[in-house]
Amino acid sequence: MTTTELPAIKGVGTQATRLYGVLALVALGWVFVGGLFFTPEDVVQGDAVRIMYVHVPTAWTAYLAFIVTGVASACWLLGKKHSMGFDRVAGASAEVGVAFMALTLISGSLWGRITWGTFWVWDPRLTTTAFLFVTYLGYLAVRGLGGSPQQRARRSSVVALLAVLEIPLVHFSVVLWRSLHQEASVLSPDGDIKMDGIMLFTLLFGVFGFSVLFAWLVSHRQRIMAMHDAQRASALEVAMVDRLQEASS
Amino acid sequence: MDLTPRTSSDNAPLAPRTKAKKKWRYVAMLVVVVFAGGFIVSQFLTSAIDFYCNVDEVGVRVGCEEDRRLRVQGNVVEGSISESANKTTFSLVFNNKTIDVIYDGDPGGIFQECIPVVAHGRLQGDTFEANRIEVRHSNEYEAANADRISESEVAPCSQQVG
Repeated sequence: MTTTELPAIKGVGTQATRLYGVLALVALGWVFVGGLFFTPEDVVQGDAVRIMYVHVPTAWTAYLAFIVTGVASACWLLGKKHSMGFDRVAGASAEVGVAFMALTLISGSLWGRITWGTFWVWDPRLTTTAFLFVTYLGYLAVRGLGGSPQQRARRSSVVALLAVLEIPLVHFSVVLWRSLHQEASVLSPDGDIKMDGIMLFTLLFGVFGFSVLFAWLVSHRQRIMAMHDAQRASALEVAMVDRLQEASS
Repeated sequence: MDLTPRTSSDNAPLAPRTKAKKKWRYVAMLVVVVFAGGFIVSQFLTSAIDFYCNVDEVGVRVGCEEDRRLRVQGNVVEGSISESANKTTFSLVFNNKTIDVIYDGDPGGIFQECIPVVAHGRLQGDTFEANRIEVRHSNEYEAANADRISESEVAPCSQQVG
């Protein structure tokens, strides 16, 4: 019946993505080994402090992901060509951001159980973070509502530009309200970092590692999205060729 | 040329049905998201009913009246913790004001002397009867080594809650 094949999908990796894939692996390898074996226990929290090396970097990377989604959405909306590349980067970044935010909530909940004595409290930081997570789940749902790629890009760009406004609220919630959650250690309002050297080094290495992992995941995911869009666009063409072949046989 | 969509054996168009199914999945997800957002906000507002007060604000600040349920924040006074008959008693201090707290059970977490905690409950006479204790930790991280332990012995209750 169908004789015309859709374009075959080849790999989505390049020399550059392979390079930062390896970089991410090395950095996260150090975070794992350093976080578990080389960094000391905290004088108050003991071993529980090791959760910080995953919790904080995943939170920062999720913020980064949502900011990238916002910037790419603004570029799509304001750009004259309405390049679909921006929309795909926005979508891919939001997907990765949601995954990192889920990791932040899970690791934070475990950390809270050990230190605070409870998995969850309706505290300003936790509440705004959960709300941010749910907002971006909504963003992903909006992207899946159907229509042409242009319609999808337009409505999801508007949602992304509204959603990104939540990030300052989440970050400053510990300053604006009285909160059980501690204030920022590295980006503290007084600029004084109160953290042991090797702890800070491992934390920042974690931020670097998770950021590179984010870039690796987004570049692969947006290429897969591009392939899906291309496949969808070529589907009509393929169907027409098939019908022509049927008619002529 | 006939370009009408292909149909399956039961004469229903294949592609549109799959697309519609997918679309409804996302609509359902959106509905769940809206309800989840509403739930989060309502839980936050419900928990905010208990006013958040520092020890020195109890009975002084508006909203921190002694006859209402409160969340009281302060540092656990050194040497004040005692446990008996499944009850934990300790004192909280903030800005040189102290309050005695009694809690039914083990506070859990990293509860210890000199650490900031939040006690949920009600003032009964001079004692705060808590039914929930949450332990705060500061944004300071120090290695637990011998030198630091001796430093902390010099200034055991140096942490302050904000």
